[in-house]
Amino acid sequence: MVSYSKETQTPADTQTHTQAKPGCCVCVRACVAEEEEEEEEMADPKPAEDSQEEKADEEEKQEEVLPKELTEEEKMHLLNSEEFMAFFDRGSRIVERALSERVDVCFDYSGRDLEDREGEMQAGAKMSLSRVFSDERWSKNRVVTCLDWSPQYPELLVASYNSNDDAPHEPDGVALVWNMKYKKTTPEYTFHCQSAVMSAAFARFHPNLIVGGTYSGQIVLWDNRSNKRTSVQRTPLSASAHTHPVYCVNVVGTENAHNLISISTDGKMCSWNLDMLSQPQDSLELVFKQSKAVAVTSMAFPLGDVNNFVVGSEDGSLYTACRHGSKAGISDVFDGHHGPVTGLSCHSAGGPVDFSHLFISASFDWTVKLWTTKSTRPLYLFEDSCDYVYDVMWSPTHPALFACVDGSGRLDLWNLNNDTEVPSASVVVDGSPALNRVRWAHSGREIATGDSDGQVLVYDVGEKICVPKADEWTRFVHTLVEINENRDEGDELAAQRLLA
Amino acid sequence: MAEVEETLKRIQTHKGVIGTIVVNAEGIPIRTTLDNSTTVQYAGLLHQLTMKARSTVRDIDPQNDLTFLRIRSKKHEIMVAPGRSGSSPLVVQWHQSTCVFFLG
Repeated sequence: MVSYSKETQTPADTQTHTQAKPGCCVCVRACVAEEEEEEEEMADPKPAEDSQEEKADEEEKQEEVLPKELTEEEKMHLLNSEEFMAFFDRGSRIVERALSERVDVCFDYSGRDLEDREGEMQAGAKMSLSRVFSDERWSKNRVVTCLDWSPQYPELLVASYNSNDDAPHEPDGVALVWNMKYKKTTPEYTFHCQSAVMSAAFARFHPNLIVGGTYSGQIVLWDNRSNKRTSVQRTPLSASAHTHPVYCVNVVGTENAHNLISISTDGKMCSWNLDMLSQPQDSLELVFKQSKAVAVTSMAFPLGDVNNFVVGSEDGSLYTACRHGSKAGISDVFDGHHGPVTGLSCHSAGGPVDFSHLFISASFDWTVKLWTTKSTRPLYLFEDSCDYVYDVMWSPTHPALFACVDGSGRLDLWNLNNDTEVPSASVVVDGSPALNRVRWAHSGREIATGDSDGQVLVYDVGEKICVPKADEWTRFVHTLVEINENRDEGDELAAQRLLA
Repeated sequence: MAEVEETLKRIQTHKGVIGTIVVNAEGIPIRTTLDNSTTVQYAGLLHQLTMKARSTVRDIDPQNDLTFLRIRSKKHEIMVAPGRSGSSPLVVQWHQSTCVFFLG
């Protein structure tokens, strides 16, 4: 017995359903034969409705004749078919997004009691938490190993995760694509692979592909056009490719001439063509002084450069290297850190002055250092942290701004034009989990960070901090000059002390 | 298969959703969380409405197709997400006294 009276409805909240007056919902209510009884009980049913009801009843009787029952087997068969899966995947995605939206276009501002609206989060002048992305099944108990924002769709963010020790039967490697645009709390796409994913990136010139570097040394390629959650292409597990964990993958080049570069922790650098991952186009052993292989943990290409790059290694040293040419391989070594290098970032904010020779590195030794490719000694040392610094990244729009995250749950923003001793803005994540990765969105207005509990947190950065003014570049030039002077003075003093 | 069940369950437990029905292209229910008579009735009625909506869209522009249909009434909201024309199943859901309907 179907009943449409108020009792069966969910408790009214902000929706504008008024009390059903008799005769309002004729189309819905009149359809069922049993409704007649209810209609009679209601006050003053108009005659017009009766005739409508009758017509509806007739239709209903006709309806009853038409639908046939499918057997359980037929139903299961249908539900398992390819077409259904494809359709359902698409349809359920749209419906979930629609369900999550709370916009009420029929809202009536006059005369209705409003329930308390959610107060808008106080947009802090500095940083405010915008979204937290976490999935009960796929991201819980896993560490976020890498983050990347999509170049084509600024709202998409891929996060890769390593294995879940509590769930040995689930795949070790997971990559989830999250969507900032909609309020839905489930990932846009879910991808798996058999080995823990250590790095992931959107393939820059292929909007549908996501590249992942895994712990086993395999590079996997996922395609969001396929209905599968597993990879569509994989590199072989052979000596020609990588046999050690791949922490760095990057697509460099231009639309017509690009390669996927991957470096594993045994120092092997391979360049691949995304169409064919069965063997690398080119490979190179990164060795320092003909003997020591470099255990690469991070890599960065300066803006606009496809040949020269910087790598950081497990023993704390930093090297510049180049891919092609007579001196392919490691070129220079920098003084480095006292612990493994966890993050490297080359200056990428284009502007009137070119700072692409600058890069910063983060390490387990609690410090972040500022370097220039023109000198092997660091330009500046940032010592504000009290824990391992796990990642660092220059802002893509502001020349003097960078972010770093450390193991105590702190996300710091440093503006070198304001102060080089302390961060300009700092926030500690709830619960102080170790933050493993930080990535600025391409707009430079949002910053995503991944923690050790499998959560990806996206912060909105206040305009005052992240939007560069026109003179930021020239101010940064002055800041660099000051830094240089300080460094030289510091060196002189140190030299004098040694002599004395 | 399990993913389908999981997704259906997740949509069904979403705030405000009252019922979920999966129907095939001919309007025959395959999966439902409502009772039989309601299911059958709504499947039939909304199937016809969606067909009409789709043919309307197509008549106006033959290269266009219906992607989403939302019917807001005083008590209910009905969401219909049609699949590609051809045989794809139909899912009906109730949301906030709403009926959500995927049409194949």
